Amino acid sequence: MTSVQPLEPLTILIAEDSAADRMLLSSIVRRQGHEVLTAANGAEAVEAFRLQRPQLVLMDAMMPVMDGFEAARQIKALAGETLVPIIFLTSLTESEALARCLEAGGDDFLAKPYNQVILAAKIKAMDRLRRLQATVLEQRDQIARHHDYLLNEQRVAKAVFDKVAHSGCLNAPNIRYLQSPYALFNGDLLLAAFTPAGDMHVLLGDFTGHGLPAAVGAMPLAEVFYGMTAKGYGLSETLREMNAKLKRILPVDMFCCATLLCLSFQRRSVEVWNGGMPDGYLHSIASGERTPLTARHLPLGVLSPQTFDDRTEVFPMAVGDRVFLLSDGVIDTCDANEQLFGVERLQRVFAANRRPDQLFEEIEQALRDFRGEARDDVSMVEVSLLEAAQLSPPALVYSDSGQSCPLDWSVSFEFRAATLKRFNPLPYLLQLLLEVHGLRAQSGALYSVLAELYSNALEHGVLGLDSSLKRDASGFARYYQQRNARLDELKDGYVRVHLQVAPKGEGGCLTIRVEDSGKGFDVDRVMARPLDGARLSGRGVSLIRQLSRNANWSDDGRSARVEFFWEALA
Amino acid sequence: MADTHLDRDVLSALQEVMEDEYPMLLGTFLADSIERLSQLHKTDDAETLGATAHSFKGSCSNMGAIRLAQLCNELEQRSKQKSLEGIEKLISEIDSEFAIIRPLYEAERQRSLADSATVRRF
Amino acid sequence: MSVVTEVSTDGKKLTISIRGRFDFAKHQEFRESYEDKELSAVVVDLKEATYLDSSALGMLLLLRDHAGGDDSDIRVVNSSSDVKKILAISNFDKLFDIS
Repeated sequence: MTSVQPLEPLTILIAEDSAADRMLLSSIVRRQGHEVLTAANGAEAVEAFRLQRPQLVLMDAMMPVMDGFEAARQIKALAGETLVPIIFLTSLTESEALARCLEAGGDDFLAKPYNQVILAAKIKAMDRLRRLQATVLEQRDQIARHHDYLLNEQRVAKAVFDKVAHSGCLNAPNIRYLQSPYALFNGDLLLAAFTPAGDMHVLLGDFTGHGLPAAVGAMPLAEVFYGMTAKGYGLSETLREMNAKLKRILPVDMFCCATLLCLSFQRRSVEVWNGGMPDGYLHSIASGERTPLTARHLPLGVLSPQTFDDRTEVFPMAVGDRVFLLSDGVIDTCDANEQLFGVERLQRVFAANRRPDQLFEEIEQALRDFRGEARDDVSMVEVSLLEAAQLSPPALVYSDSGQSCPLDWSVSFEFRAATLKRFNPLPYLLQLLLEVHGLRAQSGALYSVLAELYSNALEHGVLGLDSSLKRDASGFARYYQQRNARLDELKDGYVRVHLQVAPKGEGGCLTIRVEDSGKGFDVDRVMARPLDGARLSGRGVSLIRQLSRNANWSDDGRSARVEFFWEALA
Repeated sequence: MADTHLDRDVLSALQEVMEDEYPMLLGTFLADSIERLSQLHKTDDAETLGATAHSFKGSCSNMGAIRLAQLCNELEQRSKQKSLEGIEKLISEIDSEFAIIRPLYEAERQRSLADSATVRRF
Repeated sequence: MSVVTEVSTDGKKLTISIRGRFDFAKHQEFRESYEDKELSAVVVDLKEATYLDSSALGMLLLLRDHAGGDDSDIRVVNSSSDVKKILAISNFDKLFDIS
């Protein structure tokens, strides 16, 4: 007899026109533990299915009114996505007839005379298929729901991120960029902001991984970038903070490749740090030459703060020169044969480019021609050096009520060798001075002057560097190498900063004095030079004289003094 | 090729499955068969002949009427041929065969009714 | 098997060979090849590795972290020129001995 394992009871429809056969089959099926519905012809079978939705159908092929084939077709149509197995009851032996059963949607056959063992086995097998199909559909629906949920989460995450990123200046006239709307979820990040002095910091980053994990690292990074840039911190300090933050919060196997730029319109230079990104390019309009900006560092978030290398390279730029950065989505674009677009093809696009303004379009076209379709993780940015006057950095926003401010005070600092090596006091000094409301309108000039005075005191004074080295590109590189080397070895020396704020008439006066322990310089000779905008070196003194009042040098150039005035506030 | 009129093994299997409904099954089969035979005599349309023969064949095989099932199969095949000549002979063979097995089924039906009555007494 | 490990006879050196694409699909296998071992020196053999992506870099960092971080001794050998290029751009030669 049958050794049937217990099966979940099914509702089975038996469509058979012969009454005796119908009765027999019903008994057999009931004995196997199932509920039975019966129909004597095809039309009754379809109606019974429509009303009661049995899980399995035993269908006689030859029936009056509507035969089994048509009934099977209609039932399958009614069932839709759900699998309702149909087992044809037939003594048909011709293969053509059997083929008809399959075409009509039949899943199996049972020959007459009915064999209970075989019938039980077929019901069990068909039921397994039926349940499998039901599981697949349920899982598909679950996945679709989950997917919608994830998409919504991403929308929310992006909205939050956009708020964090709002303080950027990607829309400044000297920046062009291309970024997919899904860039955030590919781990691509593009940030730009003005420093208080009017310099511009730009970051192009690429987090490992995709989706939310990549996006989540971007937020703390953006906050550090914007916060520190607004306060006047330089690239190196900002890099140290960003690296430390990512190292702390990201898992060991996650990191962020990044290229950072500091473009100085006043000093006509660009400072570069590239950790793990593809080469950027500095394009000199005059010579047509493109200098690759190669990755010399590990990505952010890999090294501990003690071993992190924040050294940057500095290059001179002329007005109109551009820096071009791209993510690896460009180089890694593949064609149908898995060939990479590669650096050589990119260089060819550069070489063929006649109008710099068209460069983006030419690259995009070359990628499309190569691959046949666009990729969604290609990021490019081009930053040009314009005349400082062409840019208008937004005014700083202050968070206090503007009611109380210190109007009559002075303070002195002395920064000695150990401090000079590892600390930039400028952001603190600036924050201090911006407590004086009357100075806020001049914060750009104030910061620029302070920065120049300090760097002159440190580099030319304490470190004894010769600014005339900075007359060409290779000299620039040597100058900054020497600067880092001498700073590393520094044992003695100091820079003193004195600040004095006093009321004057309806407004006030700020006096800044900066002294260094260096050898000084020939003040008269430098003063005698005309204020020259084009030279790369020696611009610091001109700048100071242009932006502040009553600039003067004493003690053989070791002491500099400038003043700032403001009228009464309305 | 079996010449069995009525396969007793099939009958016992049927009885086991149908239990109390066994007599009713036998009765239904006999009623169906009479109806089908009448159909076979009435019609001269080859397709109807074939369909009826096919259906009858199925029931007979389920109920253990082996020889009758065989004859129905022959009729089904013959009805597909161009000429229906001599088909009446086959139909009358079917009539004869049914005449043989009918009393056998009826006896079986009586026996099973009596048995269940006996059982119920206890 | 796409990640094959071999321990030296004195039990001190572990060699992990990668076959095929070195990407996220190998994440678990790679981790399992070293996580139950105390390591002093590890060699990652990329002779039969056809491709390396950023998740592979991440996996190397995990290995380095497990093997002692700054005190670890990990060599990446037999890199193809494509693989070497990727390792060079990311400056991983500052953390690993690459050949």
